[in-house]
Amino acid sequence: MDEKTAKLDAFRKEVRTWLRANLPKKWGTPEYKAPEGFTQERHDLGKWWTKKCYDAGYTGFGYPKEYGGIERPREEILIIREEMARTGTPGGPSSLGLLLAAPTILAHGQEWHKKRFIPKILSGEESWCEGFSEPNAGSDLANVQTYAVRDGDEWVVKGQKCWTSMWKFADFGILVVKTDLKAPRHRNLSSFIFDTKSKGFERRPLRQMTDESEFGEMFFDDMRIPHINMMGEENRGWYVAMTTLAAERSMGGEAGVSQQMETRLGSGVDNLIELARNHKRFGKALWEDPVYRQKIAQAAIELDAYSLWGPAFRAKARKGGASLAATLSFEASVSKNYWAESRQRRAMLIEDILGSYSQLMTGSKHSIDDGAWVYEVLRSRGASIEMGTTEVNRNIIAERILGLPREETVKKA
Amino acid sequence: MDFGLNEEQDMLKTMARDFITKECPKAHVRKMMDDEIGYSPDLWKKMAELGWQGLVFPEEFGGSAMNFRDLAVLSEEMGRALIAAPFFSTVMLFGLPILQHGGEFLKKEFLPKIAKGELVGTMALLESDGDFWADGIRTKALKRGNHFLLSGTKMFVTDAKAADYFLVAARTQATANPENNITLFLVDAKEWGVYVGKLKTMDMIRKQSEVTFSNVNVPATHIVGESHGGWQIIKDTVLKANAQLCAEMIGGADWVLETTVAYAKDRVAYGAPIGSYQGLKHRMADMYMELEHARPLMIRAVEYVRENRPDADLAVSMAKAYCSDVYEMLTNNGVQLHGGIGFTWDHDMHLYFKRARWSTNSFGNPTYHRDLVASHLEKQLL
Repeated sequence: MDEKTAKLDAFRKEVRTWLRANLPKKWGTPEYKAPEGFTQERHDLGKWWTKKCYDAGYTGFGYPKEYGGIERPREEILIIREEMARTGTPGGPSSLGLLLAAPTILAHGQEWHKKRFIPKILSGEESWCEGFSEPNAGSDLANVQTYAVRDGDEWVVKGQKCWTSMWKFADFGILVVKTDLKAPRHRNLSSFIFDTKSKGFERRPLRQMTDESEFGEMFFDDMRIPHINMMGEENRGWYVAMTTLAAERSMGGEAGVSQQMETRLGSGVDNLIELARNHKRFGKALWEDPVYRQKIAQAAIELDAYSLWGPAFRAKARKGGASLAATLSFEASVSKNYWAESRQRRAMLIEDILGSYSQLMTGSKHSIDDGAWVYEVLRSRGASIEMGTTEVNRNIIAERILGLPREETVKKA
Repeated sequence: MDFGLNEEQDMLKTMARDFITKECPKAHVRKMMDDEIGYSPDLWKKMAELGWQGLVFPEEFGGSAMNFRDLAVLSEEMGRALIAAPFFSTVMLFGLPILQHGGEFLKKEFLPKIAKGELVGTMALLESDGDFWADGIRTKALKRGNHFLLSGTKMFVTDAKAADYFLVAARTQATANPENNITLFLVDAKEWGVYVGKLKTMDMIRKQSEVTFSNVNVPATHIVGESHGGWQIIKDTVLKANAQLCAEMIGGADWVLETTVAYAKDRVAYGAPIGSYQGLKHRMADMYMELEHARPLMIRAVEYVRENRPDADLAVSMAKAYCSDVYEMLTNNGVQLHGGIGFTWDHDMHLYFKRARWSTNSFGNPTYHRDLVASHLEKQLL
C-alpha cells in the first residue's frame, strides 16, 4: 500500500469513527424511529445534523472559502459521501438553500449577498424557498403577475405564489416579480431575496394527492423588500431565474447533490431486490421470477445511466470550452426528464411487486414499511410536473440543444 | 474515469471521420451490399496504412500500441458510417483473441498480417440454436496424431465470405460441464471441407453466413490458448466485442438523430417546418435524452475493459442491454419521423434500422444481458 492509499484509509476510519460518535443514538437500528415528512422534528433533525457535519468539515463543499465553503481534496469528499451513503444519515433541513438558492446567489448575487447568505445555507442554519410559480404562471413562468413598485430604497410587493416547495420552514426566499408593467415578456421581471419575517407576508399549506403539504402558497400584501436585496439587474430577473431553474433540473449540479439524494440512489436497487425477495406470488418469491428480475435489472441500469450522466456531461462541458453554467441551463433538462421518467417506471414496478398491498397507506394496519413504498407511488407522479414539466423540458431540449424551430402559438382572438 | 477524449483521440476521431467520408461514402456501402465478398481490398489496405487494423497490437507485431478506448473511438466512427469493411470481425473476433490468448507462434504468424491489411478473419461460434451459450456448441474436433478433424455447422458467422481464416469453437472431450470441453481452433478457409453457405440477412452490409466444416484438417499448433479452455477465451472475446459494439451503436444512433433533426428542420408541412410541431420535436428530444444516457454507459464499459476490472462484465452487460434498446428506439423514430421517404429503400435510414437489429441480436440480446445483470446484483448482495 502506498503512502497516499494509507492516508486515505486512515481518513476513512476517521470518518467512520466520527459518524458512529455523532449520529443520533441507536441510529440505523429498528429501535430508532426517524421523523419523516415535513414535520418540525424532521426539519430540526436535518438542521442539527447539517450544522454538526459543517463544523466537522464534512459538508459545504464546492463554494469559495470566503463564502463559507469547505475546501478538501476530492478523494476525501468522495470518501465522506460514500461513508455517509453507507451508514445512511438524517440528511439536510427542509430547505432549497443548497439546491437552488446558493448556486443562484453565487452566480448573480451581490458581494454582500454571498457573504451574508451562502455560509448559513452551507451550515444548514437558514432555510430557503423559491417564489416562482403562480396560479397562472407554471410552465409559462414568464407570465408572472405578482408585481413590485419602487418606493425610495424599497420595493412594495403585491401578489401570490403557489406550488412553493419547502415553504413551511423557509427563513428566506428568492422571488421573481414584475417590476416593469409595460416592458415585453422576459424583460419585465426582477429577482429578489426576501425575508419571510417581513410584514405583509403570509403562507398556507396546499394539500397534495399524497395527503401532505410539501407545497404551499405564499401571499404578498404590500410586503416591503429593500432595494439592496435585488439580484442581477433591474428587469433582468428572468436570467437569474433561468440559473435557478437549471440548478434545480440538474439537482444542484456537482456541489449541490444532496446527501439524501445520493443515499436514495445508492440503495435504490438493493431495496427493490429486497422487496421482491419478500413478496411471493403463487408461493414463489418474485425475485425468482424472470419477469421481475428483468424489470429490476432495467431499473439498476437506468439508475447507473442517470448517475453517469453528470460526470459525462461535465467532461463534455470542459471540452466545449463553454462555461458550465451556460451549457447546464439547457442540458440539465435532459437529466431532469430522465430522472422523472425512470423514477416513475420504478414506482410502477413497486406497485407491481406489492400487488394489493400497494393500496395500504402510511398508518394503516398491514401496510408495507409503513406505507413508504405507496408514498413513492404517489409522490413520483409529481416528478414529471415539478421543476418544469416533462413537456416544457422536451421543448427546451428540442429548441435549445437540437436547434428545432419554435411552434407557432395560436393567436388569441 | 475520464468521459471525455484526449487530444490524440480527438485527432483520431477527426481523421477517421474524414477518411471514411471520403473513402467509404454511402454509394460505396450500397455497392458493397450487392457484392458477395462485401468489401474492397483497396479500402482495406488504406485502412491498414492508417494503422487501424493493428491499432491495439504491440509494435513488435506491427501494431500502433494504442489502447481499447482509442479503438472505441474508431468503432464509433465506423458504426456512424456503416463502413463496408470486415473490421469488427477481423479485429474484435479474430485478432484480439489471438493477441490475448494465442501462443507466440500464432501471434507472430497472424497479427502482423492483420495489421498490414493482408488478412481477414472472423469467429465461427453460434450453431443451430442461434444462442450464445456453451451448450449450443456441438461441432466436434477429433484428435488424429498431431492434427484434429473438425466437423459441424456454424451459423451467423460474420464476414465469412471475405474471411481467410476462422476461429472455430469445437468440443474436444466428454465432460458433464459443457464449458469445460471447448477448444478454439484457427482454421484456414481454403482447407478442404470448409463450405461457406449464403444467408439472406436483413443487414446486407455486415454479411452473415452458415459455415459447414466436414472433417476439416487442423494442425494442433493452431489451437488458440489451452486445449479444452476455449470457452473462457470466447467469453473474454465476446466481452470485448460487446464493448466495441456498444461504441458502434452509439455512433450509428448519433447519425440517426443528426439526420432526423436536419430533415425535420428542412421539411415543410402545413406551412411550417415539421420539426416545429411538438408531436415530432418531443420524440427527437427523447431520442437525444436516451442517447445521452446510453453514451456514458458505453464509455464506462469500454474503460472498465481497458482497465481489466473484475466488474467489467457487469458494466458491459448493462451497456449492451441499454445501447441496443436505445439504438432500436432511435432507428424506429428515425423511420417514423421521415414519413414515407423513411420507409423507402433509397433513404439510408433503413440501413441503420437493420444494423440496429444485427447489433441487438448479436452476442446476447437485451433480455439475455439483463438476466446477467440480475445475477450480478444478486452476487453483490450476498
